[in-house]
Amino acid sequence: MKKHLYSIQSFVIAGLLLFTGACTDLDESVYSDLKKENFFNDKTEVLQAALRPFTHMQAWLAPTGANGYYYHSALSADQVAWAQKGKHGYDGGDHFRQHYHTWTSNEGRMRGAWELMWTGVGYVNGAIEDISALENPQDIGMSQEEINSILAELYVLRAFHYMKIMDLWGNVPIVTENAQSTPINPETKPRAEVFAFIQSELEQYVPQLPKYSEELIGRTTQTAGYAILAELYLNAEEWSGTAMWDECIAACDMIIEGQAGGLNGAPQLADDLLATFSNTNQTASESLYQIAYSRKGGFTFNWGGFYMGYGNMSRALDVGYSGWNAFSVIPSAFDAYAENDLRKEQWFLFGPQYEYGTEIPILGTEEYNEEPLIYVNSIRRESEGDLSSDGSMAEGEENSGARFDKYKSGTSDDENYWENHYIIYRLTEIYFNKAEAIMRKNGGVANQEAVDLINATKERAFDEADWPSVMYTTATLTMDELLAERGREFIFEGKRRTDLIRFGEFTTGSWWDKQPDGDPNKKLYPIPSNQIANNPNLKQNPGY
Amino acid sequence: MKTNLLRSIVLPLALLCFGFAQAQSTVSGVVSDQNGPLPGANVVVKGTTNGTQTDFDGNYELTNVPDGATLVFSYVSFKTKEVPLNGQTTLNITLEEDTQSLEEVVVVGYGTQNKKEITTAVSSVKAEDFIQGGARSPMDLIQGKVAGLNITKTQGNNPNSDSSIQLRGVSSLSGDIAPLIVIDGIPGGDLDLLQQDDIASIDVLKDGSAAAIYGTRGNAGVILITTKKGRTGKTVTEYNTYIQSEFVDKKPDYLSASEFRDLIDQGVISADQDFGHSTDLYDELLNKSNLSQYHNLSMSGGSESTTFRASVFFNDAKGLPKQNSREQFGGRFSINHKALDDKLTIQSNLAANFINANLLGGGTGDFEQAIQRNPTAPLYNEDGTFYETEAYNNYNPLHRLADRIYERQEEVFSGDIRLSLEVAKGLNASVFGSYVRTNYNDRIFRSKNDWDQRESTEYQGTAYAKKFNHLDWSKTLEATLDYQTTIAEVHDIGAIIGYSYQYSTAEEFSADNSGFTTDGFLDWNLGAGTGITDTSLPRPELYSFKDDNTLVGFFGRVNYGFADKYFAQFVLRREGSSRFGDNHKWGNFPAASVGWAISEENFMQDIQAISLLKLRAGYGVTGNQGIPNYQSLTTLSDGGVYPQGGVYYQTYGAARNANPNLKWEEKHEINLGLDFGLLQNRLSGSIDVYQRKTKDLLYNYSAQQPGFVRGSIFTNVGELENKGIEVVLSAIPISSENFQWNIDFTGSYQSNELSKLSDENFQANWLEFGGLPSPGNLGNAIRLEEGGSVGNFYGKRFAGFTDEGKWLFYKADGSTASASEMNENDLSVIGNGVPKYNASLGNRFTYKNFDLTIFFRGKFAYDILNTKDLYFGNKKWLPNNLLKSAVTKHNQLDDDPQYSDYYIESGDFVKLDNVTLGYNVPLESRYLESMRIYVTGKNLATFTGYSGIDPELQDTGFTTGIDGRDFYPRTKTWTLGFNFRF
Repeated sequence: MKKHLYSIQSFVIAGLLLFTGACTDLDESVYSDLKKENFFNDKTEVLQAALRPFTHMQAWLAPTGANGYYYHSALSADQVAWAQKGKHGYDGGDHFRQHYHTWTSNEGRMRGAWELMWTGVGYVNGAIEDISALENPQDIGMSQEEINSILAELYVLRAFHYMKIMDLWGNVPIVTENAQSTPINPETKPRAEVFAFIQSELEQYVPQLPKYSEELIGRTTQTAGYAILAELYLNAEEWSGTAMWDECIAACDMIIEGQAGGLNGAPQLADDLLATFSNTNQTASESLYQIAYSRKGGFTFNWGGFYMGYGNMSRALDVGYSGWNAFSVIPSAFDAYAENDLRKEQWFLFGPQYEYGTEIPILGTEEYNEEPLIYVNSIRRESEGDLSSDGSMAEGEENSGARFDKYKSGTSDDENYWENHYIIYRLTEIYFNKAEAIMRKNGGVANQEAVDLINATKERAFDEADWPSVMYTTATLTMDELLAERGREFIFEGKRRTDLIRFGEFTTGSWWDKQPDGDPNKKLYPIPSNQIANNPNLKQNPGY
Repeated sequence: MKTNLLRSIVLPLALLCFGFAQAQSTVSGVVSDQNGPLPGANVVVKGTTNGTQTDFDGNYELTNVPDGATLVFSYVSFKTKEVPLNGQTTLNITLEEDTQSLEEVVVVGYGTQNKKEITTAVSSVKAEDFIQGGARSPMDLIQGKVAGLNITKTQGNNPNSDSSIQLRGVSSLSGDIAPLIVIDGIPGGDLDLLQQDDIASIDVLKDGSAAAIYGTRGNAGVILITTKKGRTGKTVTEYNTYIQSEFVDKKPDYLSASEFRDLIDQGVISADQDFGHSTDLYDELLNKSNLSQYHNLSMSGGSESTTFRASVFFNDAKGLPKQNSREQFGGRFSINHKALDDKLTIQSNLAANFINANLLGGGTGDFEQAIQRNPTAPLYNEDGTFYETEAYNNYNPLHRLADRIYERQEEVFSGDIRLSLEVAKGLNASVFGSYVRTNYNDRIFRSKNDWDQRESTEYQGTAYAKKFNHLDWSKTLEATLDYQTTIAEVHDIGAIIGYSYQYSTAEEFSADNSGFTTDGFLDWNLGAGTGITDTSLPRPELYSFKDDNTLVGFFGRVNYGFADKYFAQFVLRREGSSRFGDNHKWGNFPAASVGWAISEENFMQDIQAISLLKLRAGYGVTGNQGIPNYQSLTTLSDGGVYPQGGVYYQTYGAARNANPNLKWEEKHEINLGLDFGLLQNRLSGSIDVYQRKTKDLLYNYSAQQPGFVRGSIFTNVGELENKGIEVVLSAIPISSENFQWNIDFTGSYQSNELSKLSDENFQANWLEFGGLPSPGNLGNAIRLEEGGSVGNFYGKRFAGFTDEGKWLFYKADGSTASASEMNENDLSVIGNGVPKYNASLGNRFTYKNFDLTIFFRGKFAYDILNTKDLYFGNKKWLPNNLLKSAVTKHNQLDDDPQYSDYYIESGDFVKLDNVTLGYNVPLESRYLESMRIYVTGKNLATFTGYSGIDPELQDTGFTTGIDGRDFYPRTKTWTLGFNFRF
C-alpha cells in the first residue's frame, strides 16, 4: 500500500516538475498578420509592400471622406463649403472655422490630417527600409535594376508627400527613417530647407522612374514625377522665396512633348469634359498620375461622403451609394461660370432633381420633407422665407448650393459602374502651369503661347458657336482671369487653397461668407498642439 | 488510520488538545439537521484523536469514550456542538446551520479560509443571501450586495445582454475593467455556465492584498464563484422553477398622433406632415404577453467515498420587445471521490449550456424610431406591405422584424478535474486541469422584401445572407502543494505554492453573399447567391481570424495565525504573459496583510457589548494583462488592394508601432478594514478604506509624427487613482420566536482621478468618450484629462437664448456668443457622470413561515446628459416626431441641437429594487420534504428628480452618465416561483 502511494506521489511530483520546466515559453504565434521575416519572397510581395502607401494616400489626398489634405485644401478656399444645414453639419463648428480661417492649433480634423499624411511618410520609409535591405534580389527572382526602379518610385512618392505636407504646414522636420519604439524627436526645419530636400530628391530620382504606360497605371512614373516637379517649381517663389519659372516650363515640356510616357502614347488633352472623370477613365488620355481604384477589384473611389446627398439622391443618379449631404458649391463660385459654359451643366447637379430617367421628383427629407428637392444657388433659410440675403455658413438647408457631379459613377447596372480612378495630375494642369510660368516670367502678362495653352483647354467647354466670343486673347488673359479660369477648370480637384495662396488671394480675398482675414500667417496651418507636446523639437508656426 | 487522516484535514482544531484515558464506554446516536439525518458529520471525543463520521443514515458509534468526556459534533457550514456525556451512551444531536458570519468559510483563491482569519478585503455572499427572483445573469444575484462592486444592467432586462461589472472604480484605460471571474477554480470562467440554483456562494476579492494571488489579472478584482456540491447521505432532489413577465416601467413622453395633429393645428408643424393615420410604434414593438420560464432539477447525494450533484435546467427567457429572447438548456455535474484510504481525492465538474438567442428584436435603434417616427404615418401600406417613412435616419422596425433573421446558437462547455494527494500529514499535492470552450454560429438574413434590399439599392432586390462562426477555448493546468500545521497549539501556519499555465485562443470565420433571387434558402445555401459572380452586386466578404496567448505563473502564499488574535498573510505571484514585450515578459506581484482580533484580547473580555472587533491592513500589487494580443510585435497587416499590372493584390504595411517594452498595468493598493460585532452580533458590520494607484496604464497614446510610422503606440504611460470607503452593516432589530427582522446596509464612496496621461516620450492631451450621434456630430461628451476626474462632461456652457430662441453660450472670456463662434478654448467641465455614492438597504422580515424582503438601491452625486431631450426635445427635430418637452419645457428654443450644460441634470435616485414575499408551506409529506412559494417584483419604483426615463445608466468604464437616444425599455419584472425538495 505504502509503496503504491509513494509511486503515485513521485508521479505527481515528477509531473509537476515536467510541466513547470516545459511550460514557461511565452513566444507569441501570429496567425492573421504577417511577420516580416516570412515576407518579401518574390517580386509580387516586394510590390505589395511598395504599394501600401498608395492605398493609404487616397485617404488624405482624394475626396473620400477623411480629414486630410483634401478637406483642408477645399474648405478653406473659395469654391466649396460645408455649411450647417439645419440640425446637420454643425460638427463642432469645424467647417465654420475652415471657411472663416479662424482655426486654432487644437483642431481635431487637423490633427487627423497631420497623422494621416505623416503615416503615409512612415509607410514609404518602411517600404524603402525593407526593400533596401534585400541584399540578394536574384534570390527572390528580381534584378537589382528592378529593385532600384521600385526604390526610385518610393523616393519620389515620399517627396510628393513632403510637398503636400509643406504646402499645409511649411516648416516641418525631414525624416527618412522610422522610429523603433523610442521617439527620435526630429526638429523642425525651415520651409526653404524642406523645399530643398524635396527638390533634390525629385531631381535625382524622377529621371530614374519608368515612363508612364498602361502596365503602370496608378504608379509613380515619369509623368507623375515631372508633374510633381512642375507644381514644386510653380510654387517655388511662395515656398522657398526663389522663383523657378524656367524649371517649371522645362518640367511641363517633358510631359507635353511625350518624353515621360503616357497612356496609349503621349498624353493628349481630352476631347470633352467628361472622359477624364468617367467610369472608364482608367486610361484617360490626359492622365499623368492617378489612384487606381476599382470597385470590382475591391477598392472603390467613394466620394459619396463629401459630395453626395442623402439616400433620396441615390435614385436621382440610380446608384447604390449615398452620402452626408456635406459640401455645397459656394454661390459666387457657381456664378463664376458663364451660362454657356458647358462645365456648368456637366459638372454640377443643380435645380430640380428627378428619379433617374424619369420626371418623378426626388423628395426632400428635411426642410423640404416630402416636397420636391431643388438645388438652389444660395445657402440661406429659404424654407423660412429668406429669399434675398447672402446667407451664411450657419444657414444652409438640405438643398443649398449646387452640387458635385464631376466624377460620375454611372448607374448601378453600368458594366463599369463606379470603376472611376482619381486623377491626381492631368495634362490640362500642365498646360495651366506652363502658361502661368510664362506669364509670371513675362511680368504677369500673357503672350500668345500662354493664351494658346489656356484656350486649348477652355475650348472643350463651349459650343463652336460660342467659342469665338469667349476665347482668350493676350489682352483678356490677365492674371486674375487665369486664377478664375483655373478655378473653373479645377473645381473639386483639391487644389484651390494652393492656387489662392500663390495668387496672393488666400488671406486678402473675400468670398461669400468669408471676410479678408489679412493675416499672412494663415497661409500655413498651425502644427497640431498635441504633436508639439509630444515632440519638444517641433516649432509652432508664426502667429499661432 | 482513515479517520485520523481525514480529521487532520477537516478538523485541525480538534487536535489542539490531548486528552488522557479514563473509564471507557461506547456511545452511539444519530446526527441530523433540520431536514433529517446528516451523513458524514464528524464526531470526536474532545481533546483526543478518537473520532468517527456518521454513516449514510446519520448514525455513529464511538468506542473507548471516557466517562467524563465531551463529544464534539461538527460538519462544514454547521455550528459545532459540544455535548458533555454525563454518563449517557446514546446522544442524538441536531446541528444548526451556521449563520454566524465569523465561522463562515470564505473562498480566497487557491483555497479557503475561515472568516476570522481573513486579513484582506473580501466579501462573501452565500446562496441564501442572493437577490431573489429570476436572474438574467449570475451577477444579478449580488447586485447591490457587495459594497464597492457596481453591477449595472445598461440594457435593462434584455435577456441577451450582460451586466457591466466594476469594482472600486475604473482601473484601466484599455485593459480589462471587469473583475476576473473564477468558477470552481477555473480562472476566466464563463458566466453562461451558471444557473442561479447551482451557485453556492460568490466571493469577491476586493483589494490588492487579496487579489495578488491572481497576479496580472488581479487589478479589477476577482470574483470567485463556487457551485453547489453533493453531500454524503441520501439523495436529495430539488426542483426550482419560476415564471416571469416584464412590464414597461416608464414610457418616453413623445407626442401621440392626436397631439401631433394639435401642433399642426397650431401651425407649429406643417400640415403636409399629417399622413392620416394614428400609430404608436412603441407599443407595436412590445411583446406584452411575454412570459419567461425556468426549470432546474437537481439531484445530489453520495456514499462516504463518493458524492455527486447533477442538475439540468431549461430556461426560456423572453424580453419585453418582440423577437428578443434567449432559450437555453444544459446541465452541471460534479463528482467527488476519495480513494487510496482517503489520501487521494478526485474531484471533477462538467457543465454545458446550449443557447439559442434571437438577437433581432430589442435593438436599441428600434426604440429610437419609436420616439421619432411620425405618429400619423401608417405602419403598413394598404396592400399590407410595410410603409417606410424616408425622413433622415428613419426606418420601419416592424419591417425589419418581419423580413430579417438574426440568431445566435451558442454552446458553452467547461470541464475540470482535480487530483489531490495527501503526501504527508498536512501536506497535499494537487493537480488541476480545465478546459472551457465557447462557440457560436450567427445566422443573419435579409429577405428580398427588406427595405435595405429593395430594387433601387445596390442589392437590386435580392436577398442577403451571412454566417459568422466564433470559437474560443482555453486550457488551464495548475499544480499546487499546500501545507497546514499548528505548532505549540497557538501557531497556525498554512502555506501553498503553485504553478499555473493557461493557454487561450480564438478563431473566427464568416462569409456573406447576396444576389439570392428567392427567400427559400434563408441563410442555408450561401452558394446560391450570385453576389460572387455578379460584380454589380456588393462584393461578398470572406473573413477568418485566429489569435492566442499564454499566461504562466508561479505563486505562493503563507498564512500565519497566533492564538486566534494576530494574523498575517504574504502572497507572491510571478507571472509572465505572451502579450508583453520582449523586455518585460515577467512581473512580480507581492502582497502582505495583517489582522488583529482586538476582541480576543484579555482586556476586551469584560466588555460585553463588543463581541467582535478586528482590524485589518493590507497592501498588494496586482497587474492587468487584459489587452489585445500582439501589441508588442512588429507585424505587417493588410492595407487594401492596389493593382500590379492591372491585377488587384493585397498590400502590406506596418500593423502598428512595435513596442518591445510593453508590459502590464500595475496597481498598488492599501486597504484598511475594521470588522465589528456589537450586542451579541445583533449589530455587525465592517468598514473598509482603500487607496489604489494604477500606473503604467496601457493606451494607444499618440505617437510623435514624424518619426513613428503609425499615429499611435500602445504603451504604458498613464496613472489612475481611486480611493473610497465601503461600509457594510447588518442588524437584527427584532428577533423573537416567530418574528425576525434583519437589516442589511451597504454603502460606498469612491473618487477616481486620472493623475497622469503623459511621460517623457508619449502623451495624450486628453481622451474623449461618448461621441454624440448624428446629425450635427456634436462631438464627444466626455473628456478625461490629466488631473481630472473620470467621467467629466466637457462642453459648452449655456448662457441663455436670444429673443429668437437661438443658443447663447459663454466664451472663455465670459462674453456670450452663438454656437458658430465657439471653439475648443471655450469648452470646460460641466458635470460628472460617475456616481460618488452607492448604497443599498435590505430588509428581511420573517414571520413564522412567511418571509418578506424589501430591497432598496440608490446612487448619488452624479450627473446625466439627457440626449433624448437634446435631440427629440427640440422643435428642429421636425419633421420627425418630438418629445413633448419640445413644446413645453424647451418651447423657447428655436435652434438646432447643441451639446451644453443645458442638458445636464442631476441623476440621484433611489429604487425600490426588489420586493419578495415567500411562504414555506408546512408539510407532513413522506415524499416532499419542503416547498416554498414566492412572488418577486423588481424595479418597482424609482425616486428621482431626473426627467428622463431611468437615471440608472452606464456607470462603469469611461462612457458614463449618458442617457442615449436609442435605448432598451426599462421594465418592472414580476416573478412567481416555487422550490420543491424531495
